[in-house]
Amino acid sequence: MKRSLLVLGLLAVLAGACAVSAVAATFTVASDTTWPPFEWAGADGQLYGFDLDVMRLIAILEGYDVNIVSYSWDIIFDDVGIGRVDIGASGATITAEREMKVDFSAPYWTSNQAIIVKADSGLNIATALLSGKKIGAQVGTTGAKWVQEQLIDKGIKVELKEYTLYPLAVLDLLNGNVDAVVQDEPASRASVAADARLAITGVIETGEQFGFFVANGDPKGLLPKINDGLQKLKASTAWDNLITAYMGGADPAKVEAAWKAASSFLAAKDAVGFAKALAAGVTAP
Amino acid sequence: MDCVRCKGVAISAAKLLWQSVGPLFTRGLPVTLEITVLLLLLGLALGTALALVQVYGRRPLRYVCVAYEQVFRGIPPLVTILIFWNGLSQSFHIFLPGVVAAALALGLRSAAYQSQIFRGAIQAVPPGQMMAARALGMGKLQAIRHVILPQAFRLAIPPWSNEYSGVVKDTAFACVIGGLIELTRLGMTSLTRLSMTHGIGSQLILPVLIIVGLFYLALTYGGNALLALLERRLRIPGFEMKGKVER
Repeated sequence: MKRSLLVLGLLAVLAGACAVSAVAATFTVASDTTWPPFEWAGADGQLYGFDLDVMRLIAILEGYDVNIVSYSWDIIFDDVGIGRVDIGASGATITAEREMKVDFSAPYWTSNQAIIVKADSGLNIATALLSGKKIGAQVGTTGAKWVQEQLIDKGIKVELKEYTLYPLAVLDLLNGNVDAVVQDEPASRASVAADARLAITGVIETGEQFGFFVANGDPKGLLPKINDGLQKLKASTAWDNLITAYMGGADPAKVEAAWKAASSFLAAKDAVGFAKALAAGVTAP
Repeated sequence: MDCVRCKGVAISAAKLLWQSVGPLFTRGLPVTLEITVLLLLLGLALGTALALVQVYGRRPLRYVCVAYEQVFRGIPPLVTILIFWNGLSQSFHIFLPGVVAAALALGLRSAAYQSQIFRGAIQAVPPGQMMAARALGMGKLQAIRHVILPQAFRLAIPPWSNEYSGVVKDTAFACVIGGLIELTRLGMTSLTRLSMTHGIGSQLILPVLIIVGLFYLALTYGGNALLALLERRLRIPGFEMKGKVER
């Protein structure tokens, strides 16, 4: 008797699970959430950022659900490539090398590389990148690649120190273990805004384009949805509101508070309303 | 001194600190405990089996156990986790859930250590007892089950508490698993989050990391206290066991 009840219970749970999955497909989105303003984790584990809200709003517009998980940057292209997670949304520059493993969406952002140094170091863009200087970068980023290809491979003997997380490179800069850190401009601006001991000494115009990415061949047919959703977002006010909210250099704590206040719009599947409320919350005095 | 401002800073510091510490209780601790319990159970079951085979098994089987134990005692726990989480998925498309990958990787390793604890304990039971049990008509398995193991498990508690302390801290290596949020991963999240917070954020990194450390200290201390209690409870007075448990 007891056993048959258990079996019935299991069947009910399974049936429930099937019923839920029939309503809306859920796709897993992986992101290295240590990179404001594009993606970061609040202290309570809630995930914020431009990329992640674009993912959430596209999901609303295209009628699917997303489950966003924090992921290590160094494995993200591999794990999206083999289909362990469905989508990568992590401020990723579209490069030919990465195209070997994953397929990218239409570009959604253009970025340059910035060089940050300690404000009191007196280094400028030329002196910070001289032979003998130690330069920090996050492993596997286009910033690290730029240092390798444009400096080291060309005979400028800087020492490239690579870090698994971008904030660790910045902390090491503050500790005096590297002379400069090369990273995308928006993330660098967020670091400089957070700590007055840091300064951007120069920007390298790389004009890199960011894309969301899925496994090669797009087995789940996600790219058309993402690209279509991107177009819809850009055609609405939501896109500019997200840029206002995230790219204005606001303190992450303020963005988090505004996000929480606006999150009821997410629950109500109102993409435009969410972006509007978020931007209003961040820019409120 | 502008004291209204000081007070404001103190309040926002306390708030920031709690934002980092609260999730350690609600999200980090349950996952760390889940991994610890799963890996200890796996290690206990497999470790006991390996120990029994090493003591009572036939020769080829014994060699297999020794080889297993040498291999898993010789590989760093971080490498086994990477194998189960990243290696299996990349080569064979085996997608284990994060907690399972961590518990398997650490549990197989713990089994190797626990097998040595139990082998020592089994061999510490005087061989005369086995002979006596057989003379009373028990089968070999019956004798192991009813005579040897009850004594061996009691003897194994002190060294086993050592292994417990070790594996609790090994679970910290699971922080490399994508999407898995346990105590150490939360500490790293706080580290990166606080370093990006405007104002006093980076001053709170050290306190948060110390608090993460205290969680592990509480887990090892609490667990060892429970095991000592278990040892006292299970002690058979006057039965070939010397000394008493001091705590």
